[in-house]
Amino acid sequence: MMVETPETRSPSLRSKMKIDDLNVYYGAFHAIKRANLDVPDRRVMALIGPSGCGKSTFIRALNRMHDLTPGARVTGTVTLDGNDIYAQGVDPVTVRHRIGMVFQRPNPFPKSIFENVVYGPKIHGEHNGKRLQEICEKSLHAAALWDEVKDRLNRSALDLSGGQQQRLCIARVLAVEPEVILMDEPASALDPIATSKIEDLIGELKKDYTVVIVTHSMQQAARISDFTTFFLLGDLIEVGTTSDIFTRPTDKRTEDYITGRYG
Amino acid sequence: MARAILATPTVESLRSNNARSRRIVDKIATAALWGAASTIVLMLILFVVYLFVQGYSAISWHFLTGYPSAANAGGGVGPEIFNSFYILFLTLCFTLPIAVLAGVFIQEYAGPGRFRDMVEFSAESLATVPSIVMGLFGLIVFVQLFHWHFTALGGALTLTLLNLPAMMRVTQQALASVPQTYREASMGLGATKWQTVLRAILPSAIGPLTTGVVLVSGRIFGETAALIFTAGASVSYGASAYDFNPFHTAETLAVHLYSTHREALVPDADQIANGSALVLLVMVLVFNVVARVLGRQLTVRLTGKA
Amino acid sequence: MVGVRANKAHRDERVALGFLMSSSAIFVLAIVLILAFLAYNGTLLFWQDHVSPLTFLFGTDWDGFGGQFGAAPFIIGSLVATGFAILVGGPLGVAIGLFFSELAPKRVAETFKPAIEVLVGIPSIVYGWLGLTLLVPFIARTFHAEGDGLLAAGIVLSIMILPTVISLSEDALRVVPNSLREGSAALGATRWETMSRVLVPAAASGLAVAVILGVARAIGETLAVQLVLGNAAVVPKSLLAPAAALTSEIVMDMGDAPEHSAFRHALFSMALLLLLIAMGLITLIHLALRRRTT
Ligand SMILES: Nc1ncnc2c1ncn2[C@@H]1O[C@H](COP(=O)(O)OP(=O)(O)OP(=O)(O)O)[C@@H](O)[C@H]1O
Ligand SMILES: [Mg+2]
Repeated sequence: MMVETPETRSPSLRSKMKIDDLNVYYGAFHAIKRANLDVPDRRVMALIGPSGCGKSTFIRALNRMHDLTPGARVTGTVTLDGNDIYAQGVDPVTVRHRIGMVFQRPNPFPKSIFENVVYGPKIHGEHNGKRLQEICEKSLHAAALWDEVKDRLNRSALDLSGGQQQRLCIARVLAVEPEVILMDEPASALDPIATSKIEDLIGELKKDYTVVIVTHSMQQAARISDFTTFFLLGDLIEVGTTSDIFTRPTDKRTEDYITGRYG
Repeated sequence: MARAILATPTVESLRSNNARSRRIVDKIATAALWGAASTIVLMLILFVVYLFVQGYSAISWHFLTGYPSAANAGGGVGPEIFNSFYILFLTLCFTLPIAVLAGVFIQEYAGPGRFRDMVEFSAESLATVPSIVMGLFGLIVFVQLFHWHFTALGGALTLTLLNLPAMMRVTQQALASVPQTYREASMGLGATKWQTVLRAILPSAIGPLTTGVVLVSGRIFGETAALIFTAGASVSYGASAYDFNPFHTAETLAVHLYSTHREALVPDADQIANGSALVLLVMVLVFNVVARVLGRQLTVRLTGKA
Repeated sequence: MVGVRANKAHRDERVALGFLMSSSAIFVLAIVLILAFLAYNGTLLFWQDHVSPLTFLFGTDWDGFGGQFGAAPFIIGSLVATGFAILVGGPLGVAIGLFFSELAPKRVAETFKPAIEVLVGIPSIVYGWLGLTLLVPFIARTFHAEGDGLLAAGIVLSIMILPTVISLSEDALRVVPNSLREGSAALGATRWETMSRVLVPAAASGLAVAVILGVARAIGETLAVQLVLGNAAVVPKSLLAPAAALTSEIVMDMGDAPEHSAFRHALFSMALLLLLIAMGLITLIHLALRRRTT
């Protein structure tokens, strides 16, 4: 029987984002060195590598979060559907509307659950109360949180558990209907049960969204991703299907890492 | 599934429908915030230029050192300037030890507890007592109760009460700037807590502490309302313009500006007020510069870091 | 030998602690004494001179030598001038606080901040003098009025409370975790949307404290106000009419009111009222901060 890889499932694999010659500097420090990567549409791409290798730095370059970091500088091109998001005249706000981000630590706003979810739709111009209710319900459903919070939508989001807060943050991103969702270690602050809920959710999300996820756990990368990219000391070492990277890496350094030689 | 139930947007360009108007609002708001902040600086420039233009012709050696005049033009503010410094000096003599010790207690010694809460609450309350109210308290105690009449000492004690909280805050902030590792290092060598405070913590905090103390001194120098009814609004005419007796009445420069405007009979009252305002402003600038320079110098000298 | 030295260190430690604690106790003692003395002297008017507290609070006739002690004109003057200062200086101060915490490049902040420190340091009598010689003639020309009055006082107070409000709002905004800024940006919010919809609400209690301390500064301000108010002991008819405030009236009359007279006692009562307002504001601040922690 044929091994089912992402390619075999979907021969018409399309790139959602293309990263060319990406460099990121913090002042004089060269944190990402000439990285090139294609992010396939509606697949899960995992970014792995030892701590400090630049995974967060890389993923934050994909929706122009570095614009917020004083001293950070980005060169090279990052395209979304062929449009360079760093091109002159492109509004980073619009970029982030289409490329959402979930962070390592849940960061709900100190507002009600409802207000958290509809924050994005509201700023993007949706003021119809009924529509907002619908968006809220659908997004919470999609983030597998609806059943747990449907009776207390007006309670503070800060009263939720860590895992619930993180799913709320995912719902909040889904509510603005992005095309790409970036996740920087979304489960690292959560316990195993909450983690597995998030992992299941990611499996659902890839049907409709392109997902790029940083993870510290190689098991997690293996469980949820279709493709894996390995970083080391600011260099993008290797990218391939997840099964290839974990079973027959081409680079010695990748092999050392996945066999645990970097700790 | 998720996407199926959410209406799928078909945005092909990197723009969304209301992005343009939102960008404009953002630009306007940003410009407004820049404008608001700039007004502060422009205002200060206006004040400084105005006070210089109005006051510089009043300034002369005679004005800065001579006696005020009761009825004729040409009076000076010598004793007033001296009194301002003298009362500042007396106030610091009382304020510094008390406030620094209390700051050390709160920051380094006191664990959370009733006593600490009480001290902090008292400091906050003391800090919001209006200076005119503090002035009346000084009047009640030093003038009415002790029968001192208006004295430099009474004024200084009133200012002490007024500025204790600010000095304590300054001390706390300076101590908080000392890295925790210094404390651990010193205690680890077997030093007691007090030895650690004296030899490790206070020396490393001396830079920011000095900056804070000098800035607060600037405010003490210009205080008016608390002094009118405690140190008085006239100077004592002794053998010299410099009267060190703390039990004599001692009008400061800031109070002089007030009393000149209010009740002076001299024909050049406005000139004198303009000159006094300029001297007060220059002193504020001097205190600010000294605070910065001295603080930086001491930090470099005593801790070796820039 | 070692034992002796250890003993000495131990004794020093105890002596030091004694000094530290007594210095701290002075703060408590000071505020207690202030409250006690003002409570006593500030109520002499009521139980020694038999003036009704209601007359004092709500009466509008004031004549210190004539035995009329209606302080309402001053209470109204204080409240209106302070209210004006908060309406103008509060939002402006918070806006500038936002500027420093969210927008200002480091270089700009480093040049603007010292300006604010100088503004804090300028004595209130100098603000009064600036108001009297710069602002009052300007208002007189613009509105064809006397120039001094509540408008002038309100403007001067707005400027004077700015540094307090700015630096405290900046502090309050800075402690909002960066993750909220990033979370909002990642949803496609503009910087202004993040500021107005996330940061300001998240810092609300701290911003409230900033404004309340601005109120405290404004209501107790004396000389700057006295120089520009026009000092008329009547209920002000408009913002442009001469008026008086609690603080300015105290400073105007204290020199004339003889010791042990009802006149002087009435001024003490006004000081007590100011003190009570200040204590009330402190209580408000604690309530605002308690809300934040729960
Ligand atoms: N704001 C910053 N300023 C300066 N250097 C930074 C900054 N952020 C990250 N770095 C540096 O850039 C390098 C990459 O950091 P990054 O956070 O991207 O690593 P990471 O792979 O996400 O690590 P981790 O797995 O621990 O999250 C590190 O050496 C880090 O010290
Ligand atoms: Mg990271």
